[in-house]
Amino acid sequence: MSPTRTLTPYPLRPAAAAPEPAESRRVLLTTGSSDAHTWNLVYLQLLLEENGHSVLNLGPCVPEQLLVDTAQLTRPDLVVFSSVNGHGHLDGLRAARALRAERSTSDIPLVIGGLLGISPDGAEQRTAELLAAGFDQVHSDGTKPDVLLSYLAQLPATCTERAAA
Amino acid sequence: MTRSPASPPDLGSYVRAAAGAGELVVQPRMGMAVPSEMAAGLTAVAGLAERTVGTITLDSYTRVGDHSAAVAAVRAGKPLNGFPLVGHGPRITAKVAAAAGRHTPVQVRHGSADPRAIFRTMAAAGLGTSEGGPVSYCLPYGRTPLAESVAAWREATRFLAEESRANGIRAHLESFGGCLLGQLCPPSLLVAMSVLECLFFAQNGMTSVSLSYAQQTSPQQDVEALAALRLLAEELLPPTVDRHVVLYTYMGVFPRSVAGAGLLLKRSADLAVRGGAERLIVKTETEAHRIPTVAENLTALRAAAAQARRTRRELADAPREGSGEAGEVLLEARALITAVLSLSDDVGTALLRAFHRGVLDIPYCLHPDNRGAARGTIGDDGRLRWSEVGAMPLLATVGRSGAMTSNRLSLMLRRVAEQHDREASRQAPEPVAAPVAPEPLRIGLIGGGPRGLSILERLVARCAERPPARPVEVTAVDPYCIGAGRIWRPEQSPWFLMNTPAREVTMFSGPSDGGPARPGAGPTLAEWWAVADPENADPEGYAPRVVYGRYLRFVLGLVLDARVPGLTIRPVKARALTTDRGPAGDGTGEPVHRVRLDRGDVITVDRLVLASGHPTNELDEQQREWLNFAEMHPPLRYVVGDSAAEMPLDAVPPGATVGVLGMGLTFYDVVAALTLGRGGRFLPAEGGGLRYLPSGREPRIVPASRSGIPLLTRGRNQKTAEFRYRARLFTPERMAAMRASGPLDFQSQVLPWLLAEMNIVLLGTRLRHAVGPDAEREFGEAAAAVHREEPPSPAALAVLAEGFGPAGEPLDALWRLARPFAGRRFASPAEYRQELADWLREDLADAVLGNYEGPVKAASDVLRDVRATIRSVVDFGGLTPDSHRRFLADFNPVAAVISTGPPAQRSEQFLALLAAGVLEPVGPAARFRADRDLGCFTVESGQVEDSRVRLDALVDARVPSTDLRSDRDPLIRGLLADGVIRTFVNSWAGGAFDTGGLATTDTPFHPVRADGGIERTMFVLGIPSEHTRWFTQVGSGRPGPWGAFTRDADAIAEALLAEAAPRPRSATAEPAGMLAGRAAR
Repeated sequence: MSPTRTLTPYPLRPAAAAPEPAESRRVLLTTGSSDAHTWNLVYLQLLLEENGHSVLNLGPCVPEQLLVDTAQLTRPDLVVFSSVNGHGHLDGLRAARALRAERSTSDIPLVIGGLLGISPDGAEQRTAELLAAGFDQVHSDGTKPDVLLSYLAQLPATCTERAAA
Repeated sequence: MTRSPASPPDLGSYVRAAAGAGELVVQPRMGMAVPSEMAAGLTAVAGLAERTVGTITLDSYTRVGDHSAAVAAVRAGKPLNGFPLVGHGPRITAKVAAAAGRHTPVQVRHGSADPRAIFRTMAAAGLGTSEGGPVSYCLPYGRTPLAESVAAWREATRFLAEESRANGIRAHLESFGGCLLGQLCPPSLLVAMSVLECLFFAQNGMTSVSLSYAQQTSPQQDVEALAALRLLAEELLPPTVDRHVVLYTYMGVFPRSVAGAGLLLKRSADLAVRGGAERLIVKTETEAHRIPTVAENLTALRAAAAQARRTRRELADAPREGSGEAGEVLLEARALITAVLSLSDDVGTALLRAFHRGVLDIPYCLHPDNRGAARGTIGDDGRLRWSEVGAMPLLATVGRSGAMTSNRLSLMLRRVAEQHDREASRQAPEPVAAPVAPEPLRIGLIGGGPRGLSILERLVARCAERPPARPVEVTAVDPYCIGAGRIWRPEQSPWFLMNTPAREVTMFSGPSDGGPARPGAGPTLAEWWAVADPENADPEGYAPRVVYGRYLRFVLGLVLDARVPGLTIRPVKARALTTDRGPAGDGTGEPVHRVRLDRGDVITVDRLVLASGHPTNELDEQQREWLNFAEMHPPLRYVVGDSAAEMPLDAVPPGATVGVLGMGLTFYDVVAALTLGRGGRFLPAEGGGLRYLPSGREPRIVPASRSGIPLLTRGRNQKTAEFRYRARLFTPERMAAMRASGPLDFQSQVLPWLLAEMNIVLLGTRLRHAVGPDAEREFGEAAAAVHREEPPSPAALAVLAEGFGPAGEPLDALWRLARPFAGRRFASPAEYRQELADWLREDLADAVLGNYEGPVKAASDVLRDVRATIRSVVDFGGLTPDSHRRFLADFNPVAAVISTGPPAQRSEQFLALLAAGVLEPVGPAARFRADRDLGCFTVESGQVEDSRVRLDALVDARVPSTDLRSDRDPLIRGLLADGVIRTFVNSWAGGAFDTGGLATTDTPFHPVRADGGIERTMFVLGIPSEHTRWFTQVGSGRPGPWGAFTRDADAIAEALLAEAAPRPRSATAEPAGMLAGRAAR
């Protein structure tokens, strides 16, 4: 498949003027390589855009290499990994390790949320593993969107600044 | 057409036959990674009385073709969300599919844009039924280019059709086109996609297809859509192609409440019948929360089928008027299909061109091959409409209604879920129509140890004699080992022994009768052991606990294999965490129990049986202090646990000095683990007894207890299994008469009779030896005749016995047997140990004489023989509060020392370890201390000079007593907090004693609620009810006439099966008016 086409962000923009936040961030929105769900991605894109951020939505079933390549190309301020198929912890581990293994993407803030396991069993261990693999935050299902928005708001510097530092 | 013998039946014919019989076929989504679990799921679905199709749902790694990741996850024991069919391969897959039996079709559901590997494996496994489609499994769910998907599906469809034909089976594909993204896609596109994909299947060789449609937001619109689907299929599919319509219960965000989910499910079944769908794929009550369990799927299937029958009856009574008109949906769908088919004669190519041009455009689909210009929205009337049509040949039916925002999207996505949650919570319980097929009585059994097993055994035996009036389904839950439970589980040290001779142990409620072993008739432990392990068995002796564990598993196997009509038993290895009450169950009209398990699922049952066994209690203040102290002073250790099997005894280093608090049965387990378990051996000693050959890895063991002695040795058994002692004075009748006058004082009113009974045996046995059996009998008769009103004193009995011959001294008090060193002072530890050894040798000599021939052990055995009579006095509030307290504090431990002791072998080992210097008992009245100055634990006897010993480790070998208030089990805690159970408070005449045990009624042992009502949907058996009842820690039945162990289990089984008779039922909780005893106060 052609990677450029795959990168086409989903053209869903609010007609109303978006609020202009102090800092507009560039968010790379992704999911697990085995996760076919998209409503979560559609919702998050709308939410982030309404709050003045720009979003690149990779769509369903994102292979790790596509994620790493895209992150290298676009240098986002944040990678949001959203998964609801129960394999989020497995897919997320691989995604985080892939991103962290590359020098150029090892410092990009990375958060994960959704239904990450097939049962509530072992949630604590999953969180610990995901954090250890390189996620900066792990959010369980039911976390309010404000958490993501305020995390974005407090990100200390843009990616370019980080790269320069 | 000849069918390959191993293949499941043809789906198309099966559905057609069901439709002909007026039945809706119901089907779950179900996929487990482990073959045995997948197979069990299929068996369960196939076993339902409904017309079902078994489903093998694949995991998402297999779906995207990452078979190595799937296999790696299975190997690593990581959970997968489905069955990795390709990874497991055709052989395992065929075996799994065969679990559905010969009469139930099996469908593979996968979601793959490239199903070639899946279909190859399926064909090799003899399976030909699947689903999906080149569009429906590509655009909404992945990033495979549509052209690749169409090519792969073309090849895969042809392959499956041809390969199946060669195997003698007819392949079947169901289009998933009726789902797309599950939500916010107007029905016309769903209908069009289903028809187009089925045309694609037919063009590529499929001769049996099904067209799908997913329930949406408006029942009226959904009926129109189903009508349109049927009509277009008739118009467009070649007449030779077998087809039917399958409805999916709502595929979007699901109601969170069980009631809301149930309502939506029922509406889908209703819709299926009204819309003329022949098959329904259900969702479960817990859909919103997680992947459902098999049980939840079964519940959903039954509920759906029951609703379908209700709807069909309604339709028969009141024929519908014109509700099947396809209207707007038909017009739009036909326009879409016509436009697509005009693009090419090849349906696959036409589909590709259609998406490229935007003639087809799936709303909100992120795939790059989807134009993404169309939008669906929910109108005020609840119907799905187009707000943007993009390039599709349609008219937008609503104008642009402002931008879609995350908030609006979220509201629309959740609309159906919230509407049903709301409606269900408002709805009064639906009037229960007479069910067409009887709903099963669902029973949850918490605790899979001997008590739980005893109930299962009686349930099976009773059902085998007389099938239940309606189906009974039991789910037995235990986190350790179903059948054996925690204490007896087969994985533990072989050195831990049972406390009852193998000959006196059985789990069968009747003896072997020459027929096959089965519930109701099977071998005792001794009989089984002799056959199961002839080389190592010691049927006359005491079996290791692991052996009993294996025996229990053997019994469980027979229970599960019994296959009694109407009774299903499902073992579940999980811990029950909480339980709450749901809406009224279909079966009983009473609120169901929903039991949440630690593995994440919920079982829904009508009746709950609590048989959870030995408690794990919170540490008390002293224990917490010791634990903290040990943690602050490494390498000091404090080991605490209710069972030696769970204690980290390996951590006690060789040569360390380890104190053991308590010298009961756990003490013997600890000693066995620290000596035999470390390579030591016991060899026959010259002059009898044993000597210990150390391995050098033993610690120095310093045990201590209140009495300074171990438990008394169990007398050699000389009684047959059928032996039943007949009391002379301590008779059940006398005790019943006394109890009738009100609560008793055990010490002053009951104990003297018991002691007299023991003395009759003690003196009578001596008379038998000195004079003859006649003298013994005449003495007993005389004692019973003379002492009718007041219990005779020991001296009076001795005087009476003298008249028949030399009978020796009586036992003047029970505690003398258990406290031989009371009031004694010892000048040194050596002196104490010498006396202890002498005392134990004497006790052993008594034990060797036997429990019938030996006067002392025969008298001690009375305590075991009359246990049932003691219970009849004590249980359910038979004693005054004050007496009950003292009974538990004083009599109970003394009785334990006398009557629950170990086999002679253990006492001989004790003496050998004493002689070897491995065992160094401290003395009576021992006190353990955390010594802050020394930084270690110490122990010292209050009756032995210079007895203080410094300890490197302290092992707490006391068995915790039942006390719900400190029980750590979350289920018990929750039930207590909710007031469903409560502790038994013995209160009378202004006094009150909170025993900590679970308050229950007499047979069949319902819990008493906090409000005093009786919880008739629950039963409690065994240790949780200790203190309400006495001596419940019995883990086996006895051969011969039923004892309490079997009787109690049977009483619960009987009560449960009585409930399986369909009859009107009264309220759940009712005032406890006619209770035996005062348990309900």
